[in-house]
Amino acid sequence: MGYGKGFHGEEKEFDLEEMEKETEEMLKIRYLNSDNADFKRTEGGFVSLKIGDENYERVHVVRMFPFTDPEHYISIRTPDENSKEIGIIKDFKDVSADTRKMLEEQMNLRYFTPIITKIINIKDEYGYAYFDVVTDRGACRFTINIGGSAVVHLSDTRILISDIDENRFEIPDIMKLTVGERKKLDLFL
Amino acid sequence: MKKIKLPGQVLKLLSDNSIREDAIIAASSTDMNTEGEYADGYVVLTMNKLAIITSPPDPVEIHSFKGYISKNSIPERPRDWAIRIFENDRLASLKCEPLVACSELVATLKDEAEPAKDGKKADDSEGTDDSKGTGERGTPLSLTAFTNLHRESMHRLARSFDKIKNPVPEGEREEEEEEDDFCPVCGMMYPDKNRKICPKCMDRKSVFRRTLAYFKPYAGYIAVMLLCYIAMAVMNLVWPYLNGTVLYDYVLAKNEGFLVKLGIENGRYVTALIMVVGGMLIARLMLLLIQMLQGVLTARIVTGVVRDIKKSIFANMGRLSISFFRSRQTGGLMTRALSDAERVTGFFIDGMPYVFINGMMTIATIVVMFMMKWQMAVIAIVMIPAAVMIGYYLRPRIWSMYGHRHRSERSVNSQVNDNLTGARVVKAFGQEKREIERFRHNNERLRDSEMAIVSFQNYFRLIYGGTFQILNMLVWMVGVYFILVRNEMELGILITFTGYVGQLQGPINFFSFLFHWWADSMNSAQRIFEILDAQPEVREKDDPVRLTDPVGHIELKNVNFGYEINKPVLKDISLDIPAGSMLGIVGRSGAGKTTLVNLISRLYDVNEGEILFDGVNIKDIAFKDLRRNVAMVSQETYIFMGTVAENIAYANREASREEIINAAKLASAHEFIMRMPDGYDTMIGSSGRELSGGEKQRISIARAILANPKVLILDEATASVDTETEREIQHSVAYLVKGRTTISIAHRLSTLRDADFLVVIDHGEITEKGTDSELAALKGTYYKLMELQTKALAMRGIE
Repeated sequence: MGYGKGFHGEEKEFDLEEMEKETEEMLKIRYLNSDNADFKRTEGGFVSLKIGDENYERVHVVRMFPFTDPEHYISIRTPDENSKEIGIIKDFKDVSADTRKMLEEQMNLRYFTPIITKIINIKDEYGYAYFDVVTDRGACRFTINIGGSAVVHLSDTRILISDIDENRFEIPDIMKLTVGERKKLDLFL
Repeated sequence: MKKIKLPGQVLKLLSDNSIREDAIIAASSTDMNTEGEYADGYVVLTMNKLAIITSPPDPVEIHSFKGYISKNSIPERPRDWAIRIFENDRLASLKCEPLVACSELVATLKDEAEPAKDGKKADDSEGTDDSKGTGERGTPLSLTAFTNLHRESMHRLARSFDKIKNPVPEGEREEEEEEDDFCPVCGMMYPDKNRKICPKCMDRKSVFRRTLAYFKPYAGYIAVMLLCYIAMAVMNLVWPYLNGTVLYDYVLAKNEGFLVKLGIENGRYVTALIMVVGGMLIARLMLLLIQMLQGVLTARIVTGVVRDIKKSIFANMGRLSISFFRSRQTGGLMTRALSDAERVTGFFIDGMPYVFINGMMTIATIVVMFMMKWQMAVIAIVMIPAAVMIGYYLRPRIWSMYGHRHRSERSVNSQVNDNLTGARVVKAFGQEKREIERFRHNNERLRDSEMAIVSFQNYFRLIYGGTFQILNMLVWMVGVYFILVRNEMELGILITFTGYVGQLQGPINFFSFLFHWWADSMNSAQRIFEILDAQPEVREKDDPVRLTDPVGHIELKNVNFGYEINKPVLKDISLDIPAGSMLGIVGRSGAGKTTLVNLISRLYDVNEGEILFDGVNIKDIAFKDLRRNVAMVSQETYIFMGTVAENIAYANREASREEIINAAKLASAHEFIMRMPDGYDTMIGSSGRELSGGEKQRISIARAILANPKVLILDEATASVDTETEREIQHSVAYLVKGRTTISIAHRLSTLRDADFLVVIDHGEITEKGTDSELAALKGTYYKLMELQTKALAMRGIE
């Protein structure tokens, strides 16, 4: 529904046309590319965006398909709690290499997920499993709740593990683990 | 306020920057940098300063998360610490922004003139040219990042910051009680705060002991059963003696001394044979009888224990708060309540009693064997330790196999559950084939895991069986050697001896399988206790206040709530609803309306602030009184299996027929109920007659009328009925609200026209408050909504 605060600040008078315009805007997809969008790094460590006369001093960079298609369909959104979509980058080819890099930096933190490269030990005890692993960001030890949905199969060979606090760890291809490591993981496959 | 311990190096760095340890209001660890790498750091807050302490990533450090974190382990590794300090006056806000699986600490710098220079070391405290405060807007600043491990402590720090900015009057400040998150024994952080059980200290032995407690009421039966086992053991010991030594060496070998012992005349060996065979027959018969008795007892005990366990699981599930069910699959919970309860008993019935019996048997048999011929005995028992060891070493493997089966079972159950509830959608989209395929896949996995267990056990049997055959042959060979070559032994002895060897096979087999049973049983028990140990988040006070003469005055004071710590759903809600008045709540979906009423009926507890019922905090009120005085008619209607009358009388089972009819009339339900062939005795619910959404809704309303609460909550109570029915129901509601406090949530504003006052909730905050005409005059959200609805109706030519 299109009531509430609009894009352009608070309008007090009721205006059905205005609302319908808003609704229509929400239904449309706006694709961003190097021609219409100007992304810049901010001093505070974020990315700003200028589209025509619209100015956003900070934007969120969000993947639409973070697991199945992380390189395409990037949603650029306003950073407030009631985040709205500003536009979509369909393909990173549509923007400059520099823009791509700064957007990827933003996503790096947003999608922070250490990749498990080696399983040292998994011990399961009383409904919890204790993982001792090596990831691409260093050695990690974490605990998962066996009863819940802590281990999600993204595909037949790719799994996502969430610990008790919902910190994420990923194994992109279990077939790349050694037989011994897979055996330790067997309980969750 | 809980404070974390800061390492000496950091404290020194802080004091170098003139931040004294005792000036610290709040501090939190961080474990990431904004580039998305693990790196240790701290955030420290004082009344006027905020310090961000960072260090470069340490490649050799082991990153420990909950379950591995001990109270006693505060890292004091020397690091290359860097510090950034901000004056609180220059920061407009400090927020934890949740990302996908971690969070970022973001500040808004008021003055855009000079943002912090990144990475500058130490004493670079910002210049104090706070000449032009540009209000709320400013430069957003990414300060640091942290994993969810530090989510709560960082959140507390951000809240402390808010309190510095907007001091709460002293009296209203609520002391947050710090829960002890650590196990007192080993100092580890509990993996689950609601279940104060340390999995490290809680070993399987105590799981075992706790399961044992379920058998206690059956102690008498168990004692008889044990006697049966002992009798069986004795029989088994006697058998080879009768079968071997007595039959061959005494009777068939015509031993005269034996006849004398039996008191039979000399030479009458046929009589002796008949007596021996008769004895053997009786022994066998008794064995059978004992086995039968034991079977009956087992059945009694198992079914009893299974029933008791199921009962306690179900009872505890009922006790748990809504939040427990939010985070778990229904199918998984069903598996626990149903099959796990049965599996638990497996070990106790098939295993436990035999441990003693088989242990005794084995020892007795071995002793007898050694007495008969020690050389042969050595050969016979040489494999026993090996067999038991193999069983023990394969234990983890079988443990995981049982876990595997549980998971497969769970997914099958979940799918059946999903499909049955979603049958309409599956059919409507013609996806039956795919669902069947999906089911086949899950089902096959279950079969595979079951097969894996069976084939593993078969493999076991094969090894043991084979080994025993070989041993048996060896014993025979050695025996024949003793008889023929060395002439030291008689045939009967050898037959008796091999009988004993055969008898060893059972117990040995048993001991190797014991680990399997143990694993299976404990695996299930563990899952059951997980539910039994779960503590409801919403708990009744030990000494609750009873409501004697409630009037239904509801008051909310600065209520804050979120289902997850960093996602607030309600922010600082204050409301006063006088007794007998009607409050209308308006807002878009997801604004927090339902959450608000869930808090009032105490399905969840507030994070901050308080809710008062007649001036008493609802946390202090007895559950019974609160539930009786607060009733809810919601979007979700719950019709259980039973008659219409039973459904209406759900909350008040003593209601008379007249009262039920009266309630149904008032809820405009009477007419449709009477159109059903069996009237008020019509079976409805899962297996009965299908009711429409509106009909279910009206039954719920009738139920609420009959419950006669002081406070009535209508959560979109008329959302699923058409406008005409709504008008009818409106009359019932008008009756219903009389004399009670009513809180009504509605999308359709016409529903709220009787409300004494209205609030508009947007993103968890009250944005507008007042009577219908006051809000209309405000020309805000409410006005918009009103216009929109009247216009929409006008367009359709209804109004």
